Amino acid sequence: MARAFFISRECPYLNRKTTRGMCYSAAFGACRAYAQARDGNAFSFMAHTHVPQKYDVVIIGSGAGGGMAAYILTRAGARCLMLEAGDWFDTARDSKMMMWPWQAPHRGAATPAKPFGYFDGCVGGWQVPGEPYTVATGEQFMWWRGRMLGGRTNHWGRIALRWGPYDFKPYSRDGLGFDWPFPYEEMAPYYSKTEKLIGVFGSHENMENAPDGEFLPPPKPRAHELLIQRAARKLTLPCIPSRLSILTQSIHGRPACGYCGQCGRGCATSSNFSSPTVLLPPALATGRLEIRTGAMAREILTGPDGNATGVSYIDKKTRKEVTVRARVVVVAASACESARLLLNSQSSRHPDGLANSSGIVGKYLMDTVGSDVGGYVPDLSGLPPFNEDGVGGMHVYLPWGNYDKQLRHELDFPRGYHIEPGGGRGMPGPHSFGGMHDGYGVRLKQEARRGFGAGVGFSGRGEMIPNENCYCEIDRSVVDEWGIPVLKFHWKWSDYEINMARHMQQTFEELIVTMGGKVTYKSPGPHWGISRGGEIIHEVGTVRCGNDRRTSPLNSWCQSWECKNLFVTDGAPLVSNADKNPTLTILALAWRTSENIARMMRRKEV
Amino acid sequence: METKTKRPSTPSPSAKPRNTRIARRDLLKTMGLAPAALLPLSALTASAASVASPTPASSPAPRLKVLNPHEFATVTVLSDWILPADERSSSASQAGVPAFIDDWLDFQGGREGFLSDELRGGLTWLDLESNRLHGHDFIACSRLQQQSLLDRIAWPDRADPAESHAVAFFSRLRDLVLGGFYSSPEGVKDLPYLGNKMIPVWTGGAPPEVLQKLGVTNEEAEYQKWFRRRQAEGHWVQQWYYQGK
Repeated sequence: MARAFFISRECPYLNRKTTRGMCYSAAFGACRAYAQARDGNAFSFMAHTHVPQKYDVVIIGSGAGGGMAAYILTRAGARCLMLEAGDWFDTARDSKMMMWPWQAPHRGAATPAKPFGYFDGCVGGWQVPGEPYTVATGEQFMWWRGRMLGGRTNHWGRIALRWGPYDFKPYSRDGLGFDWPFPYEEMAPYYSKTEKLIGVFGSHENMENAPDGEFLPPPKPRAHELLIQRAARKLTLPCIPSRLSILTQSIHGRPACGYCGQCGRGCATSSNFSSPTVLLPPALATGRLEIRTGAMAREILTGPDGNATGVSYIDKKTRKEVTVRARVVVVAASACESARLLLNSQSSRHPDGLANSSGIVGKYLMDTVGSDVGGYVPDLSGLPPFNEDGVGGMHVYLPWGNYDKQLRHELDFPRGYHIEPGGGRGMPGPHSFGGMHDGYGVRLKQEARRGFGAGVGFSGRGEMIPNENCYCEIDRSVVDEWGIPVLKFHWKWSDYEINMARHMQQTFEELIVTMGGKVTYKSPGPHWGISRGGEIIHEVGTVRCGNDRRTSPLNSWCQSWECKNLFVTDGAPLVSNADKNPTLTILALAWRTSENIARMMRRKEV
Repeated sequence: METKTKRPSTPSPSAKPRNTRIARRDLLKTMGLAPAALLPLSALTASAASVASPTPASSPAPRLKVLNPHEFATVTVLSDWILPADERSSSASQAGVPAFIDDWLDFQGGREGFLSDELRGGLTWLDLESNRLHGHDFIACSRLQQQSLLDRIAWPDRADPAESHAVAFFSRLRDLVLGGFYSSPEGVKDLPYLGNKMIPVWTGGAPPEVLQKLGVTNEEAEYQKWFRRRQAEGHWVQQWYYQGK
């Protein structure tokens, strides 16, 4: 099948089939608006004009939360301005798909500027030049910033797992953490709408706390994934088709996946979900979205009534402050950056920072519990060659299935984790053969050849219980290059998470042994190789929503209690951090919040 | 934000055969810097096959970043001990692995880096030991002498614990040689890795005979049958409020 979209780089939308969803003219409009906005033709003069313009909504951030807010609100008729601290990014132009290792510096290896390697579709990392942060003495935290249009939706693992009924009422179940202000049933329709919009493959399994969704057909498992299923059967572990936002069928004019396995590089054909390929083009096509890149939000401005009047940001090119006015402010800068912005927005009306009369902003920061084990499975060695790149990620995964053991108090930690297996004959890189072999000579060469594709790895991704020791606050002794005081992080895993990491490593070792393999790698460090705070890049929960203004900065609509026209749509409102990767929940929650904003604007309530 | 592309060498314009290599390298450079998507798909997939192995072992050494010429020569000899040429592919040095290692040491901290210390320290140990036993540097020893020395440090399980630092050095070098070789065009052809292309239909990757050999031809269906049975038996059916709160 010829793939014409590789020929026209200017406009991925022109070559798309427009059978369903987007009509041709809308697709063309999206394309034109997108290209113009990218190249700064249509909108840049607006950015530099001196006519004071009041927007209906200013959205800070262009990732999952900001992109979804723009998508919903522009379609509801609101004129929106989106501020993005990074530069423009267009996967059709900027993706490094189809490159070979030797075409990249250091064979594409990780560098401080590109922690996931040269090919990674994310601009940014745990260290951003000119934008430092501090960490409390003796503690560890790593803060990832995606400084680009679309933020970290450009390189995420596309793992799109619905949270289940238990995940919204964790305190009710085990007395730990906090309940959400609404149950799963409230979120379910938004999950469905989100899945239909972005495209998620998966299978219907009827598991109690891993709800089924609106799925495209899943891709068949790879050879090593079938071995993992067999081992899981022996160990009585659930192992089902994974649920990733990658198109196994064309939808909404986006072509189906080409199975090159390079989702993380940013998909040049828009066959997986990222905000700039899925949410922003239709928003731009309405003609009601203006995007300003290189805009580092500094403060949310408020009026005498305490409500927001607009945003002050630093234009990174000119280093000048720019003020924009709006009826509604949507904060979606990522959990920690949003908390920082609110805390830095002090005024006489809001002496502790905006939306922070509860003193909770920045508190109860969560990440995901991670631990990894790798191994070598001789059965998979010496196979005849074949291409099994597949989609960019696992085709099967192991959801948490030990609730019955927890019910019998057989585990020394609450909640659960899911397992993400890896392996197969993927593109070799400079690290592909590390630590697997001994000796030298022709025999080594034969062994390496035989062993290609025989490595497997298991990564656990578990639920952390929010605790008092994990939070961020403003560190006034340090500013970034824009003069904005930075965040200081505090982090301490509790025994719950450490015990969970031990259980992970033991389980992964059992899986590898059951597959007939031997363990070759365990994530290093004390406490069973538990990840450092922020390392899994699932920070959520700094501006949580709730039913009580004394214990939550936001109400159940993710609206500030004390600043009525301020809403948060990123990971910050999340009350818990289930073992399921948060992006799908951020998208669905942002949809719900944005729909409510549109409703309130229509009723003139904001 | 992007990592800067460092050029491993500035080839001299005098040597004739190098000129063709320059052209190839420039092509590679262009391809490396331009967004891959700008190039037609055929050019990208063809490049693996058409790019010949750079830097034969005999060519003049590239401008070095971390290693000195003697160290580079020793790494070249060691690379070919680790991955010699065979009927399927060239040797590691023919695939440009020594230059890859020099560049790797450079970007992993340079001369002051921990990795450089480990690797250059290991090279020094090799020469010390060769001089003590045979009165020559390692590269001047006979192949038999070289081999007997490598045999002492190439198998961590049977090495003398007193030489564990030398074993660690050799293991590190082996990983670098393997990584450098198999991320080169030669290595990709050697494995062979058959991906990095767009395919219209996904059928599972492994052909039926592979699944048969692994005994997992029906695993998907069998797993599902077993999974449904367990669900029907009430496993993985969870309790809502297990502490009655």
